[in-house]
Amino acid sequence: MNAAAPSTSLKWRYFRQGLFFGVVRLSAFLITATLLLILAYIFMNGFRAISWDFLTLPPTDAMTRGGIMPAIVGTLYLTVGAIAVALPLGVASAIYLTEYARQGLAIRILRIGVNCLAGVPSVVFGLFGLGLFVVFLKFGSSILAGALTLGILILPTIIGASEEALKAVPQTFREASLALGVSKWRTISRIVLPNALPGILTGSILGIGRAAGETAPIMFTAATFFTAALPRSVFDEVMALPYHIYVLATAGTQIDETRPLQYGTVLVLVALVLGIDLVAILIRSVMRKKKRW
Amino acid sequence: MEKDMIVRAENVDFYYGSFQALTDVTMAFEKNRVTALIGPSGCGKSTLLRLLNRMNDLIDGARVEGEILFEGRNIYAPEVDPVEIRRRIGMVFQKPNPFPKSIFNNITFAPRLSGVHRKSDLEALVEESLRQAVLWDEVKDILDRSAMTLSGGQQQRLCIARALAMKPDIILMDEPTSALDPISTARIEELIDKLKQRYTIIIVTHNMQQAARVSEYTGFFYIGKLIEFGPTEKIFTNPSVKQTEDYITGRFG
Repeated sequence: MNAAAPSTSLKWRYFRQGLFFGVVRLSAFLITATLLLILAYIFMNGFRAISWDFLTLPPTDAMTRGGIMPAIVGTLYLTVGAIAVALPLGVASAIYLTEYARQGLAIRILRIGVNCLAGVPSVVFGLFGLGLFVVFLKFGSSILAGALTLGILILPTIIGASEEALKAVPQTFREASLALGVSKWRTISRIVLPNALPGILTGSILGIGRAAGETAPIMFTAATFFTAALPRSVFDEVMALPYHIYVLATAGTQIDETRPLQYGTVLVLVALVLGIDLVAILIRSVMRKKKRW
Repeated sequence: MEKDMIVRAENVDFYYGSFQALTDVTMAFEKNRVTALIGPSGCGKSTLLRLLNRMNDLIDGARVEGEILFEGRNIYAPEVDPVEIRRRIGMVFQKPNPFPKSIFNNITFAPRLSGVHRKSDLEALVEESLRQAVLWDEVKDILDRSAMTLSGGQQQRLCIARALAMKPDIILMDEPTSALDPISTARIEELIDKLKQRYTIIIVTHNMQQAARVSEYTGFFYIGKLIEFGPTEKIFTNPSVKQTEDYITGRFG
């Protein structure tokens, strides 16, 4: 081989590397840019609709004026309710799956089932919620039925994230604790779970976003077209932001007149989800600082 | 004079699924002595060690036959609580594994769960355990700092202190110095020498010199069998089995 050959191949390799990095960088840029574009578009069109009245009053004049306060409150209730249902149940399931269950065919099937559940269209969950909670258990269209339905919807996400978080806790922590004569349950509750919490919260963040944003599951189970009153119990129907957007955009009589309000509502929904996420992210980063290995 | 044997393994077989890791192991461990278990990787020495405080319970598909008698009682009898056994038989692992907690809380974690709550008792326990592990002078002013900030050797001594805080009778050590530098290793070995006055120590080691330095008894394992077991001096100077001699002189393993 002559001396030129390696240097050509080196150049070629640098070129290939540069090309590949370029593609990767471009993908990352495109995704971020798309997201920012959507957010900017919503903000530009929506912020004019935002006012104190918009945030604190119910809709008036056939939805063409007034605010969206009942929908904000309704979505908050539904989201918090869904998390309250799904987090304990999901974490408990994940603990069972990773810490207690004997890994075998049955558990593999169970896991596949959980993953499939994550892929089921949300409208199916809505119909399931209608059948089970609204009709069979006679909750009616209510916060309770909606929160339970949303809870089941986000359960697979939370189980998956919790399982990953539990598995990420080093096995050596479990061994160290057990070898000190600490029972298995206490090892899990005092050592494994606290160290897995930041990861579990990450899963919950994804769940919160989904619970707050889904329309189909609450359409049949919780959301109402219009109510000026705030709910007084978990058996009351509520307005909800995603459903309100759907209503404004499709079911109104003056769709064009409500357009600014639609953008405003979308902006509020996005801000609400981001706000809840931010709180979870803050809690997580505080926890991470404390727990490091 | 009759020697005081605190643990006895009687005809122990151990299987991981269909793989037999130990075959008919019978040996006794003398109280307040250091017994070393040596042998090439995969010979079953760590498996035996982990059988002594039922840590192998955690493995799916593991099965033990024969008896392990701790103070005359079979620890694999159905009525025995493994948690209770592990309180009395502590363990130190190959890689230092402190909890991501403060030094203080690392030591008090298990005692708290077994009923020690008074602050003064806990403080006394921390000092006593750290002194025994010869770590007190280095960490007495930083007890609330995360254990993860300590050096590897300090972490391992903290793990020993943590085990001592449960006031066990036996301490099992699974290659406790294999992840440490020579100076830390020397300190741990000195510590082992000190600890044997109060505790029975069983140590698995890959380091032949270490076995020779710290132990009174040595057992040599090969492919799941106890090949030779006796006073360390005899094993290292005048082994009666050819395989032992080959291993000790470095001809294989």
